[in-house]
Amino acid sequence: MMQYASLLIALPLFSAFLVPLIKRAGKKVILYYLSLVTLIQTGIAAWVFKEVYTSGKPIIVIAGGFKPPVGINLYIGHFAALFILIIAVVSFFMAVFSIKAINVDPIDKYAMLFLLLMLGATGMIATGDIFNLFVFMEITAISAYALTGYNKTGEASEAAMKYIVLGGIGSSFFLVGIALLYGSLGTLNLAQIAMLASKINPTVAQAALALLVFGLAVEAELFPLNAWAPDAYQASPHPVTVMFSAFVVKAGIYAMIRIVYLFKDTQAFMGILNLLLILGTLTVIIGELSALRQTNVKRMLAYSSIAQVGLIAVGFGVATPQAVDAAVFHMLNHAIVKTLMFLAVGYVAVTFGSPHMENFKGLGKRMPLTAFAITVGAISIVGIPLFNIFWSKFKLLLAALQVGKTGIVALILGASLVEAVYYFRLLHLMWFEDGKGEKIEEDLALGIIMLLLVALIVVIGVYPDFVWGIVQKASADLYNVAQYVKNVPLLQGVSP
Amino acid sequence: MISAYYFGAISLILIGLYAILTKRNLLKILVGLSIMETGVNLLLISVGYVSGRTAPILTEGATPQTTVDPIPQALVLTAIVIGVATTALALTVAINLYEKYKTLDIEKIRGLRG
Amino acid sequence: MVKRVLAIILILITGYWLANALAQVPFGADKMLVGKYYLENVKEQTGAVNAVTAVVVNYRGLDTLGEVTVLFIAATGVAALLWRKKRERTAKSEGSVVLQTGSKLLLPFIMLFGAYIFIHGHLTPGGGFPGGATIATAFLMLYLAFREYEIPHNVFEPLEGLAGMGYVAVGLIGLIIGGYFLFDWIWQTWQLGHANIGRLFSAGFIPIIYTLIGLKVGTELTGIVDNMVKEPKEGGQ
Repeated sequence: MMQYASLLIALPLFSAFLVPLIKRAGKKVILYYLSLVTLIQTGIAAWVFKEVYTSGKPIIVIAGGFKPPVGINLYIGHFAALFILIIAVVSFFMAVFSIKAINVDPIDKYAMLFLLLMLGATGMIATGDIFNLFVFMEITAISAYALTGYNKTGEASEAAMKYIVLGGIGSSFFLVGIALLYGSLGTLNLAQIAMLASKINPTVAQAALALLVFGLAVEAELFPLNAWAPDAYQASPHPVTVMFSAFVVKAGIYAMIRIVYLFKDTQAFMGILNLLLILGTLTVIIGELSALRQTNVKRMLAYSSIAQVGLIAVGFGVATPQAVDAAVFHMLNHAIVKTLMFLAVGYVAVTFGSPHMENFKGLGKRMPLTAFAITVGAISIVGIPLFNIFWSKFKLLLAALQVGKTGIVALILGASLVEAVYYFRLLHLMWFEDGKGEKIEEDLALGIIMLLLVALIVVIGVYPDFVWGIVQKASADLYNVAQYVKNVPLLQGVSP
Repeated sequence: MISAYYFGAISLILIGLYAILTKRNLLKILVGLSIMETGVNLLLISVGYVSGRTAPILTEGATPQTTVDPIPQALVLTAIVIGVATTALALTVAINLYEKYKTLDIEKIRGLRG
Repeated sequence: MVKRVLAIILILITGYWLANALAQVPFGADKMLVGKYYLENVKEQTGAVNAVTAVVVNYRGLDTLGEVTVLFIAATGVAALLWRKKRERTAKSEGSVVLQTGSKLLLPFIMLFGAYIFIHGHLTPGGGFPGGATIATAFLMLYLAFREYEIPHNVFEPLEGLAGMGYVAVGLIGLIIGGYFLFDWIWQTWQLGHANIGRLFSAGFIPIIYTLIGLKVGTELTGIVDNMVKEPKEGGQ
């Protein structure tokens, strides 16, 4: 029965291949079909989530019936179950949003790419094999390239081109890393790599890890390889921007952390942690400072999103159990808040034609519900108590203090301060300045989605314990590598 | 001293990287990307090579003791297809860019800033 | 100039660092672990004599499903990005008589050869991807020879989707019969062709999957070619 979790992979694929056959039924039908498929996916993900969290054991999907390391396995543990559910839910919301937001033809191709982007991120989080991870990363990346350029404007094509060139360099680095690991171990299974990690020559391990980190840094939007991100966020269709921020980045950073933590007991680990800390810190600083001088709200949010990812990377770089907990919590909170923010801003952009600052003047009177959603999101990101991100930033602070890294404390506080400046500027514009134009009738479905997310933010903010419990289990799945190795039923007899 | 095969593969990767970093013409950058991918594929294949052995097709007297590692070859098959996909999309985007800006010089294509 | 010098320095450092690491991975030595298991058990477990094919389709089937998907994304993405209201081919002249006659004459043979490659994937080097690419060249030649030629879109697009769905369906049948996604039910449950190892009717679902992949790759690559040769018509934006 547990093997039916492979439907998480099979369903989006099958539905994407089905689209060419049903496209004659018309544009709207395809978008409703998209919503239906993502809803079913959400159902499967919820079932998997329930199974994993009630039984406390991960689901190991074995493809082809060959036990790992001979075959490929999917490892749906506490972390993967949680984030696969997030991916499915966000995709469903965005499929609903697409009905309103997507007007550019060809819709049928959009639907296929949308489903495959979701599939790629799901696979990246679920897989237990490093080369399979590469394949899913490329599925994610290539559908993301196509979706970035989907609007076919000059800006969109330029953003897509930047993304493709950087992504190409990244995937080449990643493959060289795989070649080094495979050449010294003879296996590609993550659990077996973790088991044999101490046997690798330290020079090789360090080089391979650095290459893998750089390769994944493109998807995870860490500093030297994230030049594509603001452009792509700005130029891609609004639902796709939400997906980038809510889970494509998260999948990238998860894959990076999973691989790095496999080497927890080797000499190479400390060096890589320092690399992560440096990259993360630079990402935060550059992201926040660039966000300050944006006049395009979507681009501003993009920089803010990049900075948050930097904070997550810093959390993983500290690498104590508390810091990992906090970082996973921040991943979850950031996914919720940024879904809300990009959804609301995208809705404004669909209504008024562009997400420029001008259009946000007096938004409080024209689209009160949307303005309210943006306000809650902004307050939450800045880290005001009683909203969810306060807790994850606070826990991150505590974790940094515990190991005496005051530099990180200063970084978090400074970042929050800069965020306060640019977000409160936006809030001021929305509520205290007069804009032209009438009050606008807001869409019911989108209103419900936004209110749901607002409720979630406030509930986690007021009563964090329940979600915190889930997060702790998820992060233990990441941090406790020995347990991870034990959970994978490796075939006896295939070991050196 | 590293083997000539590794050396060749690394050289191709670096040549590709150099083209990506310094060229101004978009098509040349994409050619650089392809060269880099070729280098990576060569590297993977040479990692799986075992001296004096033959292709992993078990007919006509070939036994598991006389053939090379089949995994890197399977991986490279996948990597090649992925490279083709990336190149096709990149060229498409280049066509769109040319239509909009009437040039392929990356110094002149500058819509997005900041 | 400064940029070039910086690039060269960066590249030299990267190269030195890579070479240093690779020096620890001896070339030509037997480093197999999982690979050895494949070579020793491939005939019995999958029925294929070409170990690479068995790895691609059976042992690492999920990778191949992903690989097919990547190509599908590329074809879809190319079509999505080049989509315009009206597009047409802009070639100035027809191909020469030699090209026209030759492409017509060779068409069936090229298709046959492509089909041969993907049907014999479990016995000889090759398989679905090279076979599909070979088939696509037949259509590429028709495009080169005839100015007006266009593939029958209403056949190709559904065929592409059906082939993909077929692959997933074969995997799902494995899930229902054998309990695992992409399980080789023909070889392991039904045990068909066990006496035939090394001949055409063996290796379980490999020939079926490679046929599906061949069709899919052929139609996809042809679709990419078709999209790239057409240009937007004046005023058709």
